[in-house]
Amino acid sequence: MRIRQFGLLVAALGVCLLLLTLQTRGEGTTAGQLVGFVTTPLQTVLTKVNRSAVGVWATYLDWKNVRAENHRLRAEVEERQVESLRARDVEAENGRLRRLLALRDRLPLATIAGEVIGREWGWARSLVVNRGRADSVLRMTPAIAPEGLVGRVVEVRSGASIVQLLTDPASTVSATVERTRTTGIVEGEPRGTTRFKYMARDGAAIQVGDLIVTSGLGGVFPKGIPIGRVRSIFDRGSALFHYATLTPVVDVARIEEVLLLTGQTPQDLVAHFSTDR
Amino acid sequence: MLALLIFGGGLAQTTLAPALRIGNVTPDIPLILVVLLALRRGPEVGCLSGFATGFLQDTAAGGFIGAQALTKTLIGFFIGQLGGRLWVREPLVQIPGLVLLSLAEGLARYLLLQVFHFPGAFGDLMLYIVLPQSIYNGFLGAVVVLTLTTAERLRGGIPWR
Repeated sequence: MRIRQFGLLVAALGVCLLLLTLQTRGEGTTAGQLVGFVTTPLQTVLTKVNRSAVGVWATYLDWKNVRAENHRLRAEVEERQVESLRARDVEAENGRLRRLLALRDRLPLATIAGEVIGREWGWARSLVVNRGRADSVLRMTPAIAPEGLVGRVVEVRSGASIVQLLTDPASTVSATVERTRTTGIVEGEPRGTTRFKYMARDGAAIQVGDLIVTSGLGGVFPKGIPIGRVRSIFDRGSALFHYATLTPVVDVARIEEVLLLTGQTPQDLVAHFSTDR
Repeated sequence: MLALLIFGGGLAQTTLAPALRIGNVTPDIPLILVVLLALRRGPEVGCLSGFATGFLQDTAAGGFIGAQALTKTLIGFFIGQLGGRLWVREPLVQIPGLVLLSLAEGLARYLLLQVFHFPGAFGDLMLYIVLPQSIYNGFLGAVVVLTLTTAERLRGGIPWR
């Protein structure tokens, strides 16, 4: 047993030494050819297997890297999208505030800028503005936007005020047609629209597209604040009054900031608003 | 099965080892395989597997055919002889054991090649190739032994000696 083991060892070592000797004595060509004859096909197979295995492994690594990179890039894109949205939001806010500030500077009466912090969009239509008793806001203070009238303060709390919107069914504003000076009342409707009513049939000559502004009567709203434009006119023929539906100049659903008019002025304010005529 | 294992071991050096590369160091997978086979199957299998895997390595590497075959034959034979007397279940034995064996193999190969006028600085070879590879072999061998032991324990077979 032991002899066989050592015999095997000696044989193996002998083959190795023979191969090495043949290679170094320059007779390696013959030995190499001999070995090559046996090993070349094996080497070819090995190389092919090696290449495919390495190829598969490299493909796997590439795939893994691409996947990781994909995850990273996706996260980066999401981050950029959020940043972009934030920037767009800030830009929009900046634009709105600039316009509000410009209006504030133009108006000949005291104002307080307020931010909309809540909305009621049910039976009542109102906004909650972050200005209240502490800011000397009083009940019936008009709330405006750069485009025109938003509503009036109906409730004042310590740090906030409730602004009743023009579109609230309980809202009524004394108004006039800017072009013809025809007076009437603008009322809110349950479906969120406004209507200009109680205008006299004779001499009204109201037309679609006419701008309706506050009349200044009643002492709540200064004169000349844009309310809306006439969208359609309903003439009931025999009725004493007819009415018009209005498209409000202020999109109250999207309003974010308002100006509260804490002072009063007898001036007509319409020239201070940017109305497309 | 044994032939496949030996062939696979030789093949692993050209396929798997590059994938396991850490920096410029690759493990000597055939050496680990020879040691494991010699410990389990004795000097004859150790000797034959050493010769075959070494020969495959020499052939694939394109160097002196016979150098690694010779050193691995010796390693396989002597580890096979000592197998019964070695306690290799502990990583504390496996790691330094394989490191020493790898160093011995590297040294033996260097000395052998010196006989055939191999042009290579001993210090550089040892420092940059043999020593890092020996350390890698030690750790990889320990992982393999531990994996085999766990697998055998789970199968309820004979534990790895």
